Amino acid sequence: MASQVETSSVLDRQAPPEEVLIRTEELWKTYDMGAAAVQALCGVTFDILRGEYVAIMGPSGSGKSTLMNLVGCLDTPSSGKYWLNARLVSELTDDELAYIRNKEIGFVFQTFNLLARATALHNVELPLIYNGTPSKEREEKASEALNMVELGDRMYHKPSELSGGQRQRVAIARALVNNPSLILADEPTGNLDTATGDEIMNLFDRLHESGNTIVLVTHEHDIAARAHRIIHIRDGKIDRDERIK
Amino acid sequence: MAVLSQARALSSRARSQRVAGAGVWATSREAFWIALEALRAHKLRSFLTLLGVVIATTTLIVVMSIVNGMNVYIATKIANLGSNTFVLHQFKWAQGYDEMLKALRRNKPIRMEDYKYLQESLIGYEAISAISQLQPGPQARYQGHSIDEVTLIGVTASHAIIGREKALYGRYISDQDDRRSAHVCFIGQDIVDKLFPMVDPIGKELNVGGHTFNVIGVADKVGSAFGISQDNFVFIPMGAFRNLYMPNLELMVFIKAPDSRHMMELEDEVRVLMRARRHVPYHDDDPFGINASETLMAAWRNLTGSIFAVTIGIVAVFMVVGGIVIMNIMLASVTERTHEIGIRKSLGARRRDIMLQFVIESAVMASVGGIVGVALAILIAWVVRAFFTASVPLSGVLIGVGLSSAVGLFFGIYPANKAAKLQPIEALRMEN
Repeated sequence: MASQVETSSVLDRQAPPEEVLIRTEELWKTYDMGAAAVQALCGVTFDILRGEYVAIMGPSGSGKSTLMNLVGCLDTPSSGKYWLNARLVSELTDDELAYIRNKEIGFVFQTFNLLARATALHNVELPLIYNGTPSKEREEKASEALNMVELGDRMYHKPSELSGGQRQRVAIARALVNNPSLILADEPTGNLDTATGDEIMNLFDRLHESGNTIVLVTHEHDIAARAHRIIHIRDGKIDRDERIK
Repeated sequence: MAVLSQARALSSRARSQRVAGAGVWATSREAFWIALEALRAHKLRSFLTLLGVVIATTTLIVVMSIVNGMNVYIATKIANLGSNTFVLHQFKWAQGYDEMLKALRRNKPIRMEDYKYLQESLIGYEAISAISQLQPGPQARYQGHSIDEVTLIGVTASHAIIGREKALYGRYISDQDDRRSAHVCFIGQDIVDKLFPMVDPIGKELNVGGHTFNVIGVADKVGSAFGISQDNFVFIPMGAFRNLYMPNLELMVFIKAPDSRHMMELEDEVRVLMRARRHVPYHDDDPFGINASETLMAAWRNLTGSIFAVTIGIVAVFMVVGGIVIMNIMLASVTERTHEIGIRKSLGARRRDIMLQFVIESAVMASVGGIVGVALAILIAWVVRAFFTASVPLSGVLIGVGLSSAVGLFFGIYPANKAAKLQPIEALRMEN
């Protein structure tokens, strides 16, 4: 009993305060490539507060994608600690991670990652299916999210019937539909032309203004410049952490 | 504050469990449509995939339908000695060829004296009759027409009550015919059709195996069993039969009980009387056979059991092969859709959600195979009914569809588990 109290008090000391949404502490990620072990991340430590708009920048091979996968709970660190929303997620089980991905994180990918066979509406409904939202409520929430990204009139179109920008907006609606604590975007404009990319970035600006925490992974300066803070990653370490707005 | 967040985490976990049912339902429904869509999109592949399950289900139901149809057929056409009737004969029927030969060697035939003895000594029967058949059957002729082989049977007049052959017109053989050993005969419909196509047979002289008989009656149609007509008979009085064809009569004695309750008692009574008469020691087997419809039905059920044992073996092999093919296709499907699995996992699908999706897809696919198999079996049963007998039992349909979905479920587990265990990031990286 005494030891339990002690452990929990240790956790208490480490757990970040309420305003910190993300805290990483000495995150390491090592890929075992047969003979050679590749160090993708070498002790990354940072905090992201609620409501921040942060870009993670770096050249390819810098480890920014690895970092994003860890932050998005798609992967687990080799060592180090990671708190999301005051929960130590670096030690959670598969199912608990699935729950975190479902409730706490909304992903926006470079390649959209929509289900090709499903309509826009069904794609947006997916996260709601996995937390057991009843079908009527599910449809309401999904169409609301699609209306928010101005695709209310394309609900029953399949991805193949939508333009790239529209597809990315469907993906953003899907990311928003569960009202997550964090929106995590990985090169969201990478597959779009400049004009469409701008539209998408304007949408991210609006999402930030309405209180969402956004973490954006990119290698483009002008995209990163939209954020309020840029974390530069190089060779698996934080090179520079600058506040620009 | 950590306590607060823990409490929040706990309550949210409780919520996720509370609504898990709805998630399962939505996942199942989605998996159901995905499976049907996949079947529709790849028609040839689906056909080949489901062939094993289809054949297994069809085989099972066709066999069940034919046996089911035969049950009725056997009961009404073959194992139908008449209600509450049993037959004393030299051997027990339907015990196999070897048993019959052994009994023929060991047992004495039933003689006229035995019949008379039972007629006198037996108490409580409704009717007792004796028949004897000439083997092989003789030729029958009337003027220019002839039949190469007819079933010639000597009967006692009392057989009118017991036998299935009822007079359509004219009359049956009487006691008087029997006592006088009159040369008269009572004939079946086939004889009328072939020998008396244009004339009234009553009063005509029918030649059977060199002796002539005056036709006194014509029987109503009995029908056929296994394609063999049962109306190709000539009945003559037992006395005449003995005098002309079989001086040392070998009989079958028919005994009809007033109701089913007394039938067992009568059987026992006949057994006791005959054993005493033949001086059979206490522990020896009966040197005669007491046969009832039940004897034949039991033999049929015995045969049915063997048929089902073989069928179950064949169906099991087909089902396993079908299941493995489905498993193979599901494994391919998991590989094809790795990226999709990654997307679903990134959106919060748990292992069991992915597991459920693929297991259901596999089960739905196999069930479709089962349903196709059932449809095919119904079609085949319908064709079979045109020249034989078949009746599709509801239980067969349920077992067929149930079994195939169970096979789908079982063989879907391995691929589904493989899908469920994929790491989200590795699955997402797999572009297609």
